[in-house]
Amino acid sequence: MINRLQTLDRRVIYAVIFVGVALALLIDFKFPISATPNVRAVYQGVETLDKGQTILISFDFGPSTVTELGPMARAILHHCFSKELRVIAVTLLPEGQGITQSILEEVATEYDAKYGEDFVFLGYKAGNEAVILNMGQDLRRAFDKDVRGNSLATMAATRSITSLRDIPYIIDLTSGYPGVEEWIQFGQERYGFKLAAGVTAVMAPDAFPFLQSGQLEGLLGGLAGAAEYEHLIGREGQAVSGMRPQSVGHVIIIGFILFGNLAYFLGRSRT
Amino acid sequence: MTFLQRTLPLAIAMVAGLLGILTFYIPVWEEFETRSAIWFRIVFAFAMILGIHSLLHMHWTRIRRNQAGWAYSAVTVGAFAVTLLFAIYNSGAGPFAVQNLESGGLGWIYDHIQVPAGATMFSLLAFFIASAAFRTFRARSPEAAILLVAAICVMLGRVPIGAAISPYLPELSQWLMDTPNMAARRGILIGVSLGAIATALRIIFGIERSWLGEDRR
Repeated sequence: MINRLQTLDRRVIYAVIFVGVALALLIDFKFPISATPNVRAVYQGVETLDKGQTILISFDFGPSTVTELGPMARAILHHCFSKELRVIAVTLLPEGQGITQSILEEVATEYDAKYGEDFVFLGYKAGNEAVILNMGQDLRRAFDKDVRGNSLATMAATRSITSLRDIPYIIDLTSGYPGVEEWIQFGQERYGFKLAAGVTAVMAPDAFPFLQSGQLEGLLGGLAGAAEYEHLIGREGQAVSGMRPQSVGHVIIIGFILFGNLAYFLGRSRT
Repeated sequence: MTFLQRTLPLAIAMVAGLLGILTFYIPVWEEFETRSAIWFRIVFAFAMILGIHSLLHMHWTRIRRNQAGWAYSAVTVGAFAVTLLFAIYNSGAGPFAVQNLESGGLGWIYDHIQVPAGATMFSLLAFFIASAAFRTFRARSPEAAILLVAAICVMLGRVPIGAAISPYLPELSQWLMDTPNMAARRGILIGVSLGAIATALRIIFGIERSWLGEDRR
Protein backbone atom coordinates (compact mmCIF):
# COMPACT_ATOMS: atom_id res chain seq x y z
CA MET A 1 0.00 0.00 0.00
CA ILE A 2 2.77 2.43 1.03
CA ASN A 3 4.71 1.44 -2.09
CA ARG A 4 1.69 2.21 -4.24
CA LEU A 5 1.37 5.63 -2.61
CA GLN A 6 5.03 6.36 -3.30
CA THR A 7 4.68 5.42 -6.96
CA LEU A 8 1.38 7.17 -7.52
CA ASP A 9 0.33 7.12 -11.17
CA ARG A 10 1.30 10.41 -12.78
CA ARG A 11 -2.10 10.57 -14.49
CA VAL A 12 -3.67 11.04 -11.03
CA ILE A 13 -1.32 13.99 -10.42
CA TYR A 14 -2.15 15.47 -13.83
CA ALA A 15 -5.90 15.06 -13.19
CA VAL A 16 -5.72 16.79 -9.78
CA ILE A 17 -3.70 19.69 -11.25
CA PHE A 18 -6.13 19.99 -14.17
CA VAL A 19 -9.25 20.01 -11.96
CA GLY A 20 -7.69 22.40 -9.42
CA VAL A 21 -6.54 24.91 -12.02
CA ALA A 22 -9.79 24.65 -14.02
CA LEU A 23 -11.92 25.27 -10.91
CA ALA A 24 -9.76 28.24 -9.92
CA LEU A 25 -10.27 29.68 -13.40
CA LEU A 26 -14.04 29.14 -13.31
CA ILE A 27 -14.81 30.23 -9.76
CA ASP A 28 -14.29 33.91 -9.06
CA PHE A 29 -12.53 34.60 -5.77
CA LYS A 30 -9.83 37.05 -4.78
CA PHE A 31 -6.64 37.05 -2.79
CA PRO A 32 -5.28 40.26 -1.29
CA ILE A 33 -2.34 41.48 -3.35
CA SER A 34 0.47 43.64 -2.00
CA ALA A 35 3.40 44.89 -4.02
CA THR A 36 6.94 43.78 -3.18
CA PRO A 37 9.72 46.43 -3.02
CA ASN A 38 11.20 45.31 -6.37
CA VAL A 39 7.91 45.81 -8.21
CA ARG A 40 7.25 49.06 -6.37
CA ALA A 41 10.67 50.31 -7.58
CA VAL A 42 9.68 49.77 -11.24
CA TYR A 43 6.39 51.56 -10.62
CA GLN A 44 8.20 54.47 -8.97
CA GLY A 45 10.70 54.62 -11.83
CA VAL A 46 7.91 55.10 -14.36
CA GLU A 47 6.01 57.38 -12.00
CA THR A 48 8.93 59.82 -11.72
CA LEU A 49 8.98 60.41 -15.50
CA ASP A 50 7.25 63.57 -16.67
CA LYS A 51 4.61 63.82 -19.34
CA GLY A 52 6.20 63.67 -22.80
CA GLN A 53 9.39 61.92 -21.65
CA THR A 54 10.48 58.82 -23.49
CA ILE A 55 10.54 55.25 -22.21
CA LEU A 56 11.93 52.35 -24.21
CA ILE A 57 10.47 48.88 -23.68
CA SER A 58 12.28 45.89 -25.12
CA PHE A 59 9.90 43.00 -25.72
CA ASP A 60 12.41 40.15 -25.69
CA PHE A 61 9.96 37.28 -25.41
CA GLY A 62 8.09 34.99 -27.72
CA PRO A 63 4.77 33.14 -27.79
CA SER A 64 5.87 30.47 -25.30
CA THR A 65 6.10 32.95 -22.42
CA VAL A 66 3.39 35.38 -23.46
CA THR A 67 1.09 34.14 -20.67
CA GLU A 68 3.57 35.41 -18.07
CA LEU A 69 5.10 38.42 -19.78
CA GLY A 70 2.09 39.58 -21.81
CA PRO A 71 0.10 40.82 -18.78
CA MET A 72 3.29 42.47 -17.49
CA ALA A 73 3.74 44.32 -20.79
CA ARG A 74 0.09 45.41 -20.80
CA ALA A 75 0.25 46.71 -17.22
CA ILE A 76 3.42 48.73 -17.90
CA LEU A 77 2.00 50.12 -21.14
CA HIS A 78 -1.22 51.16 -19.35
CA HIS A 79 0.91 53.01 -16.82
CA CYS A 80 3.01 54.69 -19.54
CA PHE A 81 0.07 55.76 -21.72
CA SER A 82 -1.93 56.99 -18.73
CA LYS A 83 1.02 59.22 -17.84
CA GLU A 84 1.27 60.35 -21.48
CA LEU A 85 4.83 59.13 -21.84
CA ARG A 86 6.28 58.48 -25.27
CA VAL A 87 6.84 54.77 -25.76
CA ILE A 88 9.48 53.30 -28.03
CA ALA A 89 9.13 49.54 -28.40
CA VAL A 90 11.72 47.18 -29.79
CA THR A 91 12.26 43.43 -29.88
CA LEU A 92 15.50 41.46 -30.08
CA LEU A 93 13.70 38.20 -30.87
CA PRO A 94 12.23 37.46 -34.31
CA GLU A 95 9.20 35.75 -32.78
CA GLY A 96 8.56 38.75 -30.53
CA GLN A 97 7.45 41.05 -33.33
CA GLY A 98 3.84 39.88 -33.68
CA ILE A 99 3.21 39.86 -29.93
CA THR A 100 4.73 43.30 -29.44
CA GLN A 101 2.69 44.77 -32.25
CA SER A 102 -0.63 43.38 -31.00
CA ILE A 103 -0.09 44.27 -27.31
CA LEU A 104 1.17 47.76 -28.14
CA GLU A 105 -1.74 48.58 -30.42
CA GLU A 106 -4.32 47.01 -28.11
CA VAL A 107 -3.29 49.25 -25.20
CA ALA A 108 -2.56 52.35 -27.30
CA THR A 109 -6.09 52.23 -28.78
CA GLU A 110 -7.59 52.55 -25.28
CA TYR A 111 -5.76 55.85 -24.74
CA ASP A 112 -6.16 57.18 -28.29
CA ALA A 113 -2.38 57.26 -28.50
CA LYS A 114 -1.15 58.19 -31.97
CA TYR A 115 1.46 56.13 -33.77
CA GLY A 116 4.57 58.17 -34.44
CA GLU A 117 3.70 60.80 -31.86
CA ASP A 118 2.97 58.85 -28.68
CA PHE A 119 4.45 55.47 -29.54
CA VAL A 120 6.68 53.82 -32.09
CA PHE A 121 7.59 50.21 -32.75
CA LEU A 122 11.07 49.79 -34.17
CA GLY A 123 10.61 46.09 -34.91
CA TYR A 124 13.24 43.36 -34.88
CA LYS A 125 16.87 43.46 -35.92
CA ALA A 126 19.18 40.46 -35.88
CA GLY A 127 22.29 40.64 -33.71
CA ASN A 128 21.18 40.39 -30.07
CA GLU A 129 23.68 42.34 -27.92
CA ALA A 130 25.22 43.97 -31.01
CA VAL A 131 21.87 45.68 -31.63
CA ILE A 132 21.93 47.11 -28.08
CA LEU A 133 25.49 48.33 -28.65
CA ASN A 134 24.53 49.96 -31.96
CA MET A 135 21.43 51.56 -30.40
CA GLY A 136 23.66 53.07 -27.73
CA GLN A 137 26.15 54.45 -30.24
CA ASP A 138 23.66 55.64 -32.84
CA LEU A 139 20.01 54.64 -32.73
CA ARG A 140 19.44 55.54 -36.36
CA ARG A 141 22.29 53.34 -37.56
CA ALA A 142 20.73 50.43 -35.70
CA PHE A 143 17.17 51.24 -36.82
CA ASP A 144 16.92 53.76 -39.66
CA LYS A 145 13.21 52.97 -40.08
CA ASP A 146 10.46 51.68 -37.83
CA VAL A 147 8.38 48.55 -38.45
CA ARG A 148 6.04 50.49 -40.77
CA GLY A 149 8.88 51.86 -42.87
CA ASN A 150 8.81 55.41 -41.43
CA SER A 151 12.11 57.19 -40.92
CA LEU A 152 13.00 57.73 -37.25
CA ALA A 153 14.09 61.29 -38.05
CA THR A 154 10.57 62.24 -39.19
CA MET A 155 8.48 60.94 -36.27
CA ALA A 156 7.78 63.13 -33.25
CA ALA A 157 8.40 60.28 -30.81
CA THR A 158 11.91 59.55 -32.10
CA ARG A 159 13.01 62.85 -33.69
CA SER A 160 15.04 63.97 -30.69
CA ILE A 161 16.38 60.52 -29.78
CA THR A 162 19.74 59.72 -31.31
CA SER A 163 21.10 57.21 -28.82
CA LEU A 164 20.13 55.22 -25.74
CA ARG A 165 21.80 58.05 -23.79
CA ASP A 166 18.76 60.21 -24.63
CA ILE A 167 16.32 57.76 -23.07
CA PRO A 168 15.89 58.18 -19.31
CA TYR A 169 14.23 54.85 -18.57
CA ILE A 170 14.37 51.43 -20.21
CA ILE A 171 12.42 48.31 -19.29
CA ASP A 172 13.46 44.93 -20.61
CA LEU A 173 10.76 42.25 -20.65
CA THR A 174 12.63 39.06 -21.27
CA SER A 175 12.32 35.30 -21.22
CA GLY A 176 16.05 34.52 -21.55
CA TYR A 177 18.69 35.45 -24.10
CA PRO A 178 19.03 38.25 -25.11
CA GLY A 179 17.84 39.72 -21.86
CA VAL A 180 18.77 41.44 -18.62
CA GLU A 181 22.50 40.59 -18.68
CA GLU A 182 22.92 41.84 -22.25
CA TRP A 183 21.02 45.05 -21.54
CA ILE A 184 23.27 45.65 -18.50
CA GLN A 185 26.58 44.74 -20.16
CA PHE A 186 26.06 46.45 -23.50
CA GLY A 187 23.53 49.13 -22.56
CA GLN A 188 23.07 50.32 -18.99
CA GLU A 189 26.75 50.12 -17.95
CA ARG A 190 27.94 52.00 -21.03
CA TYR A 191 25.21 54.55 -21.67
CA GLY A 192 24.04 55.24 -18.13
CA PHE A 193 20.26 55.00 -18.44
CA LYS A 194 18.02 53.63 -15.70
CA LEU A 195 17.09 50.02 -16.33
CA ALA A 196 14.33 47.83 -14.94
CA ALA A 197 13.30 44.36 -15.98
CA GLY A 198 10.38 42.00 -16.15
CA VAL A 199 11.29 38.34 -16.34
CA THR A 200 9.65 34.94 -16.11
CA ALA A 201 9.32 33.50 -12.59
CA VAL A 202 12.06 30.91 -13.15
CA MET A 203 14.48 33.62 -14.28
CA ALA A 204 13.82 36.00 -11.39
CA PRO A 205 16.41 34.51 -8.95
CA ASP A 206 19.13 35.04 -11.60
CA ALA A 207 18.39 38.76 -11.74
CA PHE A 208 18.55 39.43 -7.98
CA PRO A 209 22.33 40.18 -7.86
CA PHE A 210 21.80 43.01 -10.37
CA LEU A 211 19.20 44.55 -8.09
CA GLN A 212 21.54 44.75 -5.14
CA SER A 213 24.36 46.12 -7.32
CA GLY A 214 22.02 48.91 -8.48
CA GLN A 215 22.33 47.95 -12.14
CA LEU A 216 18.64 47.12 -12.11
CA GLU A 217 16.25 49.64 -10.58
CA GLY A 218 13.45 47.18 -10.11
CA LEU A 219 12.24 43.75 -11.11
CA LEU A 220 8.94 42.14 -12.00
CA GLY A 221 9.12 38.36 -11.57
CA GLY A 222 6.57 36.22 -13.38
CA LEU A 223 2.81 36.55 -13.34
CA ALA A 224 2.94 37.46 -9.64
CA GLY A 225 5.08 40.51 -10.50
CA ALA A 226 2.60 41.49 -13.20
CA ALA A 227 -0.30 41.13 -10.74
CA GLU A 228 1.48 43.38 -8.23
CA TYR A 229 2.04 45.98 -10.96
CA GLU A 230 -1.62 45.80 -11.99
CA HIS A 231 -2.53 46.32 -8.34
CA LEU A 232 -0.24 49.38 -8.11
CA ILE A 233 -1.72 51.07 -11.20
CA GLY A 234 -5.22 50.26 -9.93
CA ARG A 235 -6.17 48.26 -12.96
CA GLU A 236 -6.52 44.62 -11.95
CA GLY A 237 -6.78 42.41 -15.02
CA GLN A 238 -5.33 39.26 -16.53
CA ALA A 239 -2.44 38.89 -14.10
CA VAL A 240 -4.50 39.38 -10.94
CA SER A 241 -7.10 36.85 -12.11
CA GLY A 242 -4.21 34.56 -13.07
CA MET A 243 -3.16 34.53 -9.41
CA ARG A 244 -6.13 32.25 -8.58
CA PRO A 245 -5.04 29.25 -10.70
CA GLN A 246 -1.38 29.92 -9.92
CA SER A 247 -2.01 29.96 -6.16
CA VAL A 248 -4.09 26.79 -6.37
CA GLY A 249 -1.44 25.16 -8.58
CA HIS A 250 1.28 25.97 -6.04
CA VAL A 251 -0.82 24.61 -3.17
CA ILE A 252 -1.50 21.37 -5.06
CA ILE A 253 2.18 20.90 -5.89
CA ILE A 254 3.11 21.52 -2.23
CA GLY A 255 0.39 19.06 -1.23
CA PHE A 256 1.90 16.41 -3.49
CA ILE A 257 5.41 17.10 -2.16
CA LEU A 258 4.19 16.69 1.43
CA PHE A 259 2.17 13.60 0.52
CA GLY A 260 5.20 12.08 -1.24
CA ASN A 261 7.37 12.72 1.82
CA LEU A 262 4.77 11.27 4.17
CA ALA A 263 4.62 8.09 2.07
CA TYR A 264 8.44 8.01 1.94
CA PHE A 265 8.85 8.26 5.74
CA LEU A 266 6.06 5.75 6.40
CA GLY A 267 7.72 3.33 3.99
CA ARG A 268 11.13 3.88 5.60
CA SER A 269 9.85 3.34 9.16
CA ARG A 270 8.29 0.03 8.09
CA THR A 271 11.44 -1.29 6.48
CA MET B 1 45.47 23.63 -46.84
CA THR B 2 46.77 23.87 -43.27
CA PHE B 3 46.99 27.63 -43.72
CA LEU B 4 43.31 27.91 -44.75
CA GLN B 5 42.02 25.33 -42.31
CA ARG B 6 44.03 26.27 -39.27
CA THR B 7 46.36 29.25 -39.41
CA LEU B 8 43.97 31.73 -41.04
CA PRO B 9 40.96 30.98 -38.76
CA LEU B 10 43.25 31.18 -35.72
CA ALA B 11 44.62 34.54 -36.90
CA ILE B 12 41.12 35.90 -37.57
CA ALA B 13 39.94 34.74 -34.12
CA MET B 14 42.97 36.34 -32.47
CA VAL B 15 42.64 39.69 -34.27
CA ALA B 16 38.84 39.83 -33.78
CA GLY B 17 39.14 38.87 -30.11
CA LEU B 18 41.88 41.39 -29.35
CA LEU B 19 40.06 44.17 -31.20
CA GLY B 20 36.91 43.34 -29.25
CA ILE B 21 38.77 43.76 -25.97
CA LEU B 22 40.72 46.87 -27.02
CA THR B 23 37.70 48.76 -28.40
CA PHE B 24 35.96 48.26 -25.07
CA TYR B 25 38.78 50.01 -23.17
CA ILE B 26 39.87 52.60 -25.76
CA PRO B 27 37.01 55.10 -26.28
CA VAL B 28 38.56 56.72 -29.40
CA TRP B 29 37.96 53.45 -31.21
CA GLU B 30 34.21 53.79 -30.76
CA GLU B 31 33.65 54.20 -34.50
CA PHE B 32 35.39 50.90 -35.11
CA GLU B 33 33.29 49.30 -32.39
CA THR B 34 30.10 50.57 -34.08
CA ARG B 35 31.27 49.17 -37.39
CA SER B 36 32.29 45.81 -35.93
CA ALA B 37 28.92 45.53 -34.18
CA ILE B 38 27.23 46.04 -37.58
CA TRP B 39 29.50 43.35 -39.09
CA PHE B 40 28.56 41.07 -36.22
CA ARG B 41 24.86 41.61 -37.00
CA ILE B 42 25.46 40.77 -40.67
CA VAL B 43 27.34 37.60 -39.71
CA PHE B 44 24.52 36.78 -37.27
CA ALA B 45 21.95 37.09 -40.08
CA PHE B 46 24.00 34.72 -42.24
CA ALA B 47 24.24 32.31 -39.32
CA MET B 48 20.43 32.17 -39.44
CA ILE B 49 20.62 31.04 -43.08
CA LEU B 50 23.13 28.39 -42.04
CA GLY B 51 20.75 27.28 -39.28
CA ILE B 52 17.87 27.01 -41.75
CA HIS B 53 20.03 24.92 -44.10
CA SER B 54 21.09 22.66 -41.24
CA LEU B 55 17.48 22.19 -40.04
CA LEU B 56 16.14 21.38 -43.51
CA HIS B 57 19.07 19.11 -44.38
CA MET B 58 18.62 17.07 -41.20
CA HIS B 59 14.87 16.65 -41.61
CA TRP B 60 15.04 16.02 -45.36
CA THR B 61 17.60 13.23 -44.77
CA ARG B 62 15.30 11.70 -42.16
CA ILE B 63 12.35 11.74 -44.57
CA ARG B 64 14.40 10.31 -47.47
CA ARG B 65 15.70 7.44 -45.35
CA ASN B 66 12.29 6.72 -43.79
CA GLN B 67 13.84 6.91 -40.33
CA ALA B 68 11.72 6.64 -37.18
CA GLY B 69 9.68 9.81 -36.69
CA TRP B 70 10.02 10.86 -40.35
CA ALA B 71 6.42 12.10 -40.31
CA TYR B 72 7.35 14.76 -37.71
CA SER B 73 10.18 15.84 -39.98
CA ALA B 74 7.70 16.10 -42.86
CA VAL B 75 5.50 18.36 -40.71
CA THR B 76 8.53 20.53 -39.89
CA VAL B 77 9.57 20.88 -43.54
CA GLY B 78 5.95 21.46 -44.63
CA ALA B 79 5.37 24.09 -41.94
CA PHE B 80 8.61 25.82 -42.88
CA ALA B 81 7.67 25.88 -46.59
CA VAL B 82 4.13 27.19 -45.98
CA THR B 83 5.34 29.92 -43.57
CA LEU B 84 8.08 30.95 -45.99
CA LEU B 85 5.60 31.17 -48.88
CA PHE B 86 3.26 33.39 -46.88
CA ALA B 87 6.22 35.57 -45.83
CA ILE B 88 7.33 35.96 -49.46
CA TYR B 89 3.77 36.64 -50.65
CA ASN B 90 3.35 39.17 -47.77
CA SER B 91 -0.35 39.80 -48.48
CA GLY B 92 0.47 40.61 -52.10
CA ALA B 93 3.13 43.22 -51.26
CA GLY B 94 6.10 40.97 -52.01
CA PRO B 95 9.12 39.93 -49.95
CA PHE B 96 10.90 43.29 -49.98
CA ALA B 97 8.01 45.34 -48.56
CA VAL B 98 7.54 45.83 -44.79
CA GLN B 99 6.31 42.50 -43.46
CA ASN B 100 2.59 42.56 -42.67
CA LEU B 101 1.97 40.71 -39.41
CA GLU B 102 -1.40 42.26 -38.60
CA SER B 103 -3.34 40.46 -41.31
CA GLY B 104 -2.70 37.94 -44.05
CA GLY B 105 -1.43 34.36 -43.93
CA LEU B 106 1.73 34.98 -41.93
CA GLY B 107 -0.17 36.91 -39.26
CA TRP B 108 -2.77 34.16 -39.12
CA ILE B 109 -0.12 31.44 -38.71
CA TYR B 110 1.54 33.50 -35.99
CA ASP B 111 -1.65 34.31 -34.05
CA HIS B 112 -3.45 31.00 -34.46
CA ILE B 113 -0.66 28.42 -34.51
CA GLN B 114 2.61 29.74 -33.09
CA VAL B 115 1.19 31.70 -30.15
CA PRO B 116 -1.24 28.99 -28.88
CA ALA B 117 1.27 26.19 -29.54
CA GLY B 118 3.99 28.04 -27.63
CA ALA B 119 1.67 28.86 -24.73
CA THR B 120 0.47 25.24 -24.62
CA MET B 121 4.01 23.91 -24.39
CA PHE B 122 4.77 26.31 -21.55
CA SER B 123 1.57 25.53 -19.65
CA LEU B 124 2.32 21.78 -19.76
CA LEU B 125 5.20 22.57 -17.40
CA ALA B 126 2.77 22.74 -14.46
CA PHE B 127 1.87 19.07 -14.95
CA PHE B 128 5.46 17.90 -15.36
CA ILE B 129 6.70 19.96 -12.41
CA ALA B 130 3.95 18.55 -10.16
CA SER B 131 4.80 14.98 -11.16
CA ALA B 132 8.58 15.51 -10.89
CA ALA B 133 8.27 17.30 -7.52
CA PHE B 134 6.17 14.44 -6.12
CA ARG B 135 8.69 11.82 -7.23
CA THR B 136 11.99 13.50 -6.44
CA PHE B 137 11.49 16.14 -3.74
CA ARG B 138 12.13 13.92 -0.72
CA ALA B 139 13.76 14.92 2.58
CA ARG B 140 16.34 12.13 2.37
CA SER B 141 19.04 14.14 4.17
CA PRO B 142 19.18 17.29 6.37
CA GLU B 143 20.33 19.34 3.32
CA ALA B 144 17.41 18.06 1.26
CA ALA B 145 15.05 18.89 4.14
CA ILE B 146 16.33 22.49 4.29
CA LEU B 147 15.90 22.80 0.52
CA LEU B 148 12.39 21.38 0.79
CA VAL B 149 11.32 23.84 3.50
CA ALA B 150 12.88 26.78 1.62
CA ALA B 151 11.14 25.74 -1.61
CA ILE B 152 7.75 25.49 0.09
CA CYS B 153 8.21 28.92 1.72
CA VAL B 154 9.16 30.52 -1.62
CA MET B 155 6.35 28.77 -3.50
CA LEU B 156 3.79 30.01 -1.02
CA GLY B 157 5.38 33.42 -0.47
CA ARG B 158 5.49 34.28 -4.17
CA VAL B 159 1.73 33.96 -4.66
CA PRO B 160 -1.03 35.90 -2.86
CA ILE B 161 -2.30 32.81 -1.04
CA GLY B 162 0.94 32.92 0.99
CA ALA B 163 0.06 36.32 2.43
CA ALA B 164 -3.45 35.03 3.15
CA ILE B 165 -1.99 32.13 5.17
CA SER B 166 0.53 34.26 7.05
CA PRO B 167 1.82 37.82 6.51
CA TYR B 168 5.31 36.55 7.37
CA LEU B 169 5.46 34.13 4.42
CA PRO B 170 6.07 36.78 1.70
CA GLU B 171 8.70 38.43 3.93
CA LEU B 172 10.44 35.11 4.53
CA SER B 173 10.29 34.34 0.83
CA GLN B 174 11.77 37.75 -0.01
CA TRP B 175 14.56 37.22 2.53
CA LEU B 176 15.35 33.80 1.06
CA MET B 177 15.56 35.37 -2.41
CA ASP B 178 17.51 38.44 -1.25
CA THR B 179 20.07 36.74 0.95
CA PRO B 180 20.90 33.04 0.50
CA ASN B 181 19.72 32.95 -3.13
CA MET B 182 21.60 36.11 -4.04
CA ALA B 183 24.81 34.92 -2.38
CA ALA B 184 24.66 31.65 -4.30
CA ARG B 185 23.77 33.37 -7.59
CA ARG B 186 26.57 35.88 -7.18
CA GLY B 187 29.07 33.06 -6.58
CA ILE B 188 27.83 31.24 -9.68
CA LEU B 189 27.92 34.45 -11.73
CA ILE B 190 31.50 35.25 -10.71
CA GLY B 191 32.56 31.67 -11.45
CA VAL B 192 30.86 31.68 -14.86
CA SER B 193 32.35 35.07 -15.74
CA LEU B 194 35.88 33.99 -14.80
CA GLY B 195 35.37 30.81 -16.82
CA ALA B 196 34.17 32.83 -19.81
CA ILE B 197 37.22 35.13 -19.59
CA ALA B 198 39.57 32.14 -19.37
CA THR B 199 37.87 30.41 -22.33
CA ALA B 200 37.94 33.62 -24.39
CA LEU B 201 41.67 34.07 -23.73
CA ARG B 202 42.33 30.44 -24.62
CA ILE B 203 40.51 30.90 -27.94
CA ILE B 204 42.20 34.25 -28.68
CA PHE B 205 45.67 32.83 -28.11
CA GLY B 206 44.93 29.61 -29.99
CA ILE B 207 45.22 27.29 -26.98
CA GLU B 208 41.59 26.17 -27.26
CA ARG B 209 41.06 24.85 -30.79
CA SER B 210 38.03 22.59 -30.45
CA TRP B 211 35.98 25.18 -32.36
CA LEU B 212 38.15 24.39 -35.41
CA GLY B 213 37.06 20.78 -35.23
CA GLU B 214 40.37 19.68 -33.73
CA ASP B 215 40.45 17.22 -30.84
CA ARG B 216 41.22 18.59 -27.41
CA ARG B 217 44.71 17.73 -26.27
